[in-house]
Amino acid sequence: MTRAFALLNDKRVRDVVYQAALLLGLVALTVFFVRNASENMVKAGIASGFDFLWRNSGIDVPFVLTGYTRSSTVLDLFWAGVANTMLVTVVAMVLATALGFLVGIARLSSHWLLSTVAGAYIEFVRNIPLLFFVLFWYFGVIAALPAPRDSVSLFGVAFLNNRGLTIPLPEAPVTFRWAVAAILLSWIAQALVAAWARRRKERTGQDAPVLAIGLGLVVVLPALAVTWASLATGWDVPVLRGFNYRGGFVVIPEFVALLAALVTYTAGFIAEIVRGGIQAVPRGQTEAAAALGLRPGRILRLVTIPQALRVMIPPLTNQYLNVLKNSSFGAAIAYPDVVSLFMGSALNNTGQAIEIIAMTLAVYLVIGLAVSAFMNWYNARIALVTR
Amino acid sequence: MMKTVLAATAALAASASLASAQQLAPSPTLDAIKARGHIECGVHLGLPGFSFADDKGEWTGLDVDYCKALAAAVLGDAKKVKFTPTSVQQRWPILQSGQVDLLSRNSTITFSRNASLGLNFQGINFYEGQTFIVRKATNAKSAADLDGASVCVAAGSTEEKNASDWFLERNLKVTITNFQKNDDAIAAYDAGRCDAYTAGVGALAGQRVKLKVPGDHIILTQPISNDPQGPVTRWGDERWQLIVRWVLNGTIAAEMLGVTSANVDQMKSSSKNSEVRRLLGAEGNFGAMMGLSNDWMYNVIKQVGNYGESFERTVGMGSTLKLERGQNQLWTKGGLLFTPPFQ
Repeated sequence: MTRAFALLNDKRVRDVVYQAALLLGLVALTVFFVRNASENMVKAGIASGFDFLWRNSGIDVPFVLTGYTRSSTVLDLFWAGVANTMLVTVVAMVLATALGFLVGIARLSSHWLLSTVAGAYIEFVRNIPLLFFVLFWYFGVIAALPAPRDSVSLFGVAFLNNRGLTIPLPEAPVTFRWAVAAILLSWIAQALVAAWARRRKERTGQDAPVLAIGLGLVVVLPALAVTWASLATGWDVPVLRGFNYRGGFVVIPEFVALLAALVTYTAGFIAEIVRGGIQAVPRGQTEAAAALGLRPGRILRLVTIPQALRVMIPPLTNQYLNVLKNSSFGAAIAYPDVVSLFMGSALNNTGQAIEIIAMTLAVYLVIGLAVSAFMNWYNARIALVTR
Repeated sequence: MMKTVLAATAALAASASLASAQQLAPSPTLDAIKARGHIECGVHLGLPGFSFADDKGEWTGLDVDYCKALAAAVLGDAKKVKFTPTSVQQRWPILQSGQVDLLSRNSTITFSRNASLGLNFQGINFYEGQTFIVRKATNAKSAADLDGASVCVAAGSTEEKNASDWFLERNLKVTITNFQKNDDAIAAYDAGRCDAYTAGVGALAGQRVKLKVPGDHIILTQPISNDPQGPVTRWGDERWQLIVRWVLNGTIAAEMLGVTSANVDQMKSSSKNSEVRRLLGAEGNFGAMMGLSNDWMYNVIKQVGNYGESFERTVGMGSTLKLERGQNQLWTKGGLLFTPPFQ
């Protein structure tokens, strides 16, 4: 008896007991909700289960990266939506980071006009809802672009109009897969060279010709690979016929508008994170670096930003997660993301509301957790190591 | 002695009325409506002619009129309706979950909706076919001229699949862009994003009014599908379904029998036609059979009018839509409207 009391007094035992109880409670609650919902659905005559995923979808999607066609299954439609969500999210993260860094650094510039313009942009962006940006870019872009007949021709192979940007498509995409493989290999080689050069410098203090090698590996080799691939295959060049251009690949205006909205909106927040991060670096660091004779560009690159990054990563993670979640605003302008395709078209055609909403939630949860896991890993890697 | 007889008679009468009440199957929906004092009716977000709220929040339209008719039949007052605007995506869950008593929002009756979504369709208040609206400048005369065009449509509507199927069958290459709401789709069409916008004839006529220059656009006359539409209920509660179905039948029967809001009083008191007398509660107890008052259809016709009156006022020649009666004419006049007799 006393033993049992002694166990209960042990903090570790109590923690385990509490956590187990909480987990059990959660599981019980979930089971209750699922059973309740399925019983009600049976009573109401609504079919349930995931069988609908293998049905024919019959839905046309104007922008697909996967092999989806209208005769694919509903599950394929789901993946097509996930791919479109991932595409716009990843591209928006990269571009928003770049623009956000530029604006954030401009905000701190000693140049009055530059910092004022950057400041005005940040305040403007942060006080306007994202939906406004999405609609502005969409209807702004469409109103500004000409009809197909009066398309802007780019060297006679690509055409820009209010139906999107039609670009030539390679007839044998396999050559491009080789090119991509070559590019990845040369980038890995570059990383290895850089690591070797760093170690050598630490050991001997000598600089290796990293810039020239890097340029060759990062820019020249990939450029050669792409040139080879594009010469080795035939091209499906778009031609104006009837209502619009036929052939090629169409980058739809919905993608461009959503991307532009996400980038311009998120960049405003990232700029503030960058400013905050840089200002969090003690002034003495900059002064010390200047006293060593480093020029302002190198101070920023070698002293300020590496230290600022530690402050910036956690809030930056939040912004990346926001980009992912905000990509669902694409549904407002018919960008075929997972919300629009799966929670819109598929839900209506099959009526399986609970299953479809659960799957869509799972997509955001999985991608979101993956993004934050990566950012946490990166944060741990660059964290200040105190000895 | 006299007292005992009276008490016995009263008891007998009470048990008789109890017995007749017991004969009616329970209707939780009807009980809930009577308890809360109004009908919860799911309608379209805003489609002129069918369900549209003006700047004072007053709802009008063919589908709205049906809800009002139901309120007149059930509660004796056509104003006792609360309208819930529903999008294409929201409509089924809102009905399934019991937030509304019925949907009256020009939704097409289809097999799979009937068989797998727990929905019941209680008759047809609008026959229509899907077609396209295009700019006059494109010179397109029929859907077959749309090869290579891009078409805007509301996601998950029957129109989305119909159009896709139709063009595929004919080997025509058409890009279909799916918007979440009809309003977004028509706005994108108006902005030049698409060459055509597709929906039912009635919906197109209603949407055309919203375009910047309605006169620049033409609705293609040849439909590519048949889309019968009518009030929708969820599964279960047969007595409620009976009421929903027969109020609709009643409005059509009234037109066929020549009963209008103008002559309904006179018809009720002096018509020699037995069907008219049964419809208006002057003979028989048809209302009571469903658990309503016997003047249920009298209230409907008096307050809302018969089907034809409602049609003319909302989508017909008396409205901005100016739709022909066409298939929505009585069968006796060459249309498809037909109703079982009130016998």
